[in-house]
Amino acid sequence: MPELLSEKVRATTLKMTRVMFPHDDLPDEAYDKVVRQLEADALGDESVLATIELGVTQLDDPQPFSELDADAQLEILKRSEAAESPFFKLVHATAVVELYDNPLVWKAFGYEGPAVHLGGYVNRGFDDLAWLPDPPLLSPDFAKTVQEA
Amino acid sequence: MPRFRFDDEEVVVIVGSGAGGGTLANELCQQGVKVVVLEAGKHNTPDDFINDEWRSFKQMAWLDNRTTSGSFRIARDFPNLPAWICKTVGGTSTHWAGCCPRFKEHEFKASTYYDGIEGANALDWPIALSDLEPYYTRAEDKMGVTNTHGIPPMPASNNYKVLANGAERVGYKQFHSGRYACNPVPRDGRPATIQDGFNFQGDKNRSKWSTLVVELPKAAKTGKLDLRAQAHVIRVEHDDKGLATGVTYMDGDGLEQFQRARAVCVAGNSIETPRLLLNSASSLFPDGMANSSDQLGRNYMRHLTASVYGIFEEPVHMYRGETMAGNIEDEARHDPSRGFVGGYYLQLLSLGVPFMAAFMDPGSWGREFTSALEAYDRMAGVWLVGEDMPQATNRVTLNRDVLDQHGQPVPNVHFDDHPNDLAMREHAFRAGEAVYEAVGAVRTLRTPPYPATHNIGTARMSARPEDGVVNAFGQSHDVPNLFVSDASQFTTGGAANPTLTIVALAIRQAEYIAEQLRSQSLPKGHAVWDGRDPGGSAPVPQEATERVEAA
Repeated sequence: MPELLSEKVRATTLKMTRVMFPHDDLPDEAYDKVVRQLEADALGDESVLATIELGVTQLDDPQPFSELDADAQLEILKRSEAAESPFFKLVHATAVVELYDNPLVWKAFGYEGPAVHLGGYVNRGFDDLAWLPDPPLLSPDFAKTVQEA
Repeated sequence: MPRFRFDDEEVVVIVGSGAGGGTLANELCQQGVKVVVLEAGKHNTPDDFINDEWRSFKQMAWLDNRTTSGSFRIARDFPNLPAWICKTVGGTSTHWAGCCPRFKEHEFKASTYYDGIEGANALDWPIALSDLEPYYTRAEDKMGVTNTHGIPPMPASNNYKVLANGAERVGYKQFHSGRYACNPVPRDGRPATIQDGFNFQGDKNRSKWSTLVVELPKAAKTGKLDLRAQAHVIRVEHDDKGLATGVTYMDGDGLEQFQRARAVCVAGNSIETPRLLLNSASSLFPDGMANSSDQLGRNYMRHLTASVYGIFEEPVHMYRGETMAGNIEDEARHDPSRGFVGGYYLQLLSLGVPFMAAFMDPGSWGREFTSALEAYDRMAGVWLVGEDMPQATNRVTLNRDVLDQHGQPVPNVHFDDHPNDLAMREHAFRAGEAVYEAVGAVRTLRTPPYPATHNIGTARMSARPEDGVVNAFGQSHDVPNLFVSDASQFTTGGAANPTLTIVALAIRQAEYIAEQLRSQSLPKGHAVWDGRDPGGSAPVPQEATERVEAA
C-alpha cells in the first residue's frame, strides 16, 4: 500500500492510540494496525485524510504530542473528547475495533479464539476451573420441577 | 427442491426464514402445503460460518441502514444499528444461543399485573399459558431442549461454575445449566456440542437448533419447499377487496419479481415486519396494511438487557464452552415489592475479546477500560434479560428521508426507557454484582444494553381488532389471509428469551392455516396477472438444493 500519511502523522497517531488504550505490554506493532486501518480509510475518503491531518496538526500545537509527559497527554485527550473532536472520535472508533481484532492481542489477554478446528474446548479445558467446588447442574429446587414435568 | 411458478395460486408465501418463518415453513410442508420462503439474506451453511466475531458479524448481521431516535443509549452508541439480528438463511436463529424459558402464567395477563403503571400500553394476550403448553412441549422436542424429553443437562463450563456457586451463596434456589436448545449428546441427526463457544457466530458444529440446520432441511425433504435466498420482499400486494394477493420482492440480481400467494405470512423480525406492512400502504390502506388499529409498529420492546462481568484473582476462561448454558430464575417473578413489575433472568454470557472491547462500555477509554480487558481470562459474565414495558410511543416508523439499496424508506426505531425498565435494570445490576462478589470478585463491570437481539411486539395480538394487529393465531384482523409469524405478534414481551415462544406459536399457527386451507375457509385474494412470464425464474440451481440439504 502506498504510504499516504507522513511519518510524523503516523507517529503522533500511534502515540495517541497508545494513550487512549494503554496496554504497557503490547508492542507498537499492535497499535500500528490501527494506524494502518486509518490510512486505508483515508485512501478511500479524502474527508478522513483531512480529519487525520488537521487532528495531528492540532495535537502537535504548540508542542509535539509525543514530547509531552503522560499526564499532559491524557489531559489533551480528555479535552478532545469533551470538545467532541472528529479526530478523537475517528481514532477511538477505529482503535476499539482494530486494536482488539488481532490474534496477537488475544494471546496477550489469554483469549484462545477459534476452536472448532481443534475439536472445540470439550477436551481442552472448558470445565477445568478448580478454585470453586463443582456446583449442581440443577439446583435441588429446580430439579424437582424437572422431575414433576 | 421445486421452484413454484410466479402465478401459482396455491402457495403460501413466508417472508423470512428465521425461528418463526423457518418453523412455519416446515410445519406447513409436513402437512402437504406448498411453501415459498423468501429470505433477504444469502444461503450461508455451517461450513461457511466463521469463528471470528467481526468477520462473522459482517457475514451474518443485518447491516442494511436503519436510523434511531429517542433517549435510549443505543441512539448515541450505535445510531444505525438498533438491533443485532441476522440477514442470512435461518435468520436470527443462526445467531441465538439456545436459552429456552417458557413464558409464565402471569406474563400473558399484563393488564392485570401492570395495573396502574403510567405509560404502559398494557393488554392481555388473547391466549393463556394453557393454550400454549402443548405447543411448548412440541417445540422443546423439536429443538432438543436440555432437561426436557429426557435430554440430559449441559455439563458445567467454567463460566457456569462461577455463576452457579455465586447463585448458591447468595441464596438463589432456582438455577441450572440451562433449558438449552443445543445437544449435550447426539440427537436428531446432529452431533453433541464440542464446547467450541461460537454459538453467536452460527455454530459450525450444528449442535445448536436453528431453522438452518433443522427445519428447512426437513421441509426440503417433503418436496413442498421452494426456498429463495437473496429475495428481499418490499411490498405485500392486495386486491380491491383488501385481501393479500402476493408479494413484490427484489431478487439477487436486483430485479423486481411478483410472487402470487394463497396466504402471506410475515416473519421478518420486529423491525422489518412492521416496516414491510407500513411500506405496503395503498389507497385502501393509507396508514399501512393491517393497521386499522394504529398499533402497527408501536409497542416495540427490546427486553431489559444489560450485563455484569466479574473479575477474579484466578482464571475463568469464560469463552470456552457453550456461550449461554446457565440460568438463574429466582428473579423472574412478579413481585412489585422490589420496586418494579415483571421479572428478569440472570443468564450465562461470554463475549470474545473483540466484542468485549466493543460492547463493555461504548465510548470508554483509558486505564480503567484497558485494565478490565487485560483481566479478560479472569472474567465471568452474566446477561440480564427481563420484561420491558410496551409503550405506544416506542415504535418503528418509515424514515422517508433515508432510502435503502432498493429505494425503500429505511425503518426508524424510536425508544425511550420506561421508569420500570430503569428500576428493573438497576436491581438486576446489583443482583449480578452480588452473585460475583459472593465468590470473590475483585472487580465488577456493568455493561449497558447493546443492539437488541430480542425484538418484540410491533404487530401485537389482541382479542379486539381495535387493540392490536393480529388475532390469537397471528392472523391479521383486517386482512384475513395475511399472518404475522414472528415475535412482532407478542402482546407483551415477558422475561423469557423469545425464540421458544416464537416456535411454539409457529407450530400452532401452521395447524390453523392448514386447517383453514383444508376447509376452504381462508378467504382468497384475486391477483390480476399482468402478462409477464409466469413460468418462474430460472430453474433452481443444483447448488441451492445441495445447500439446503447439506445443512
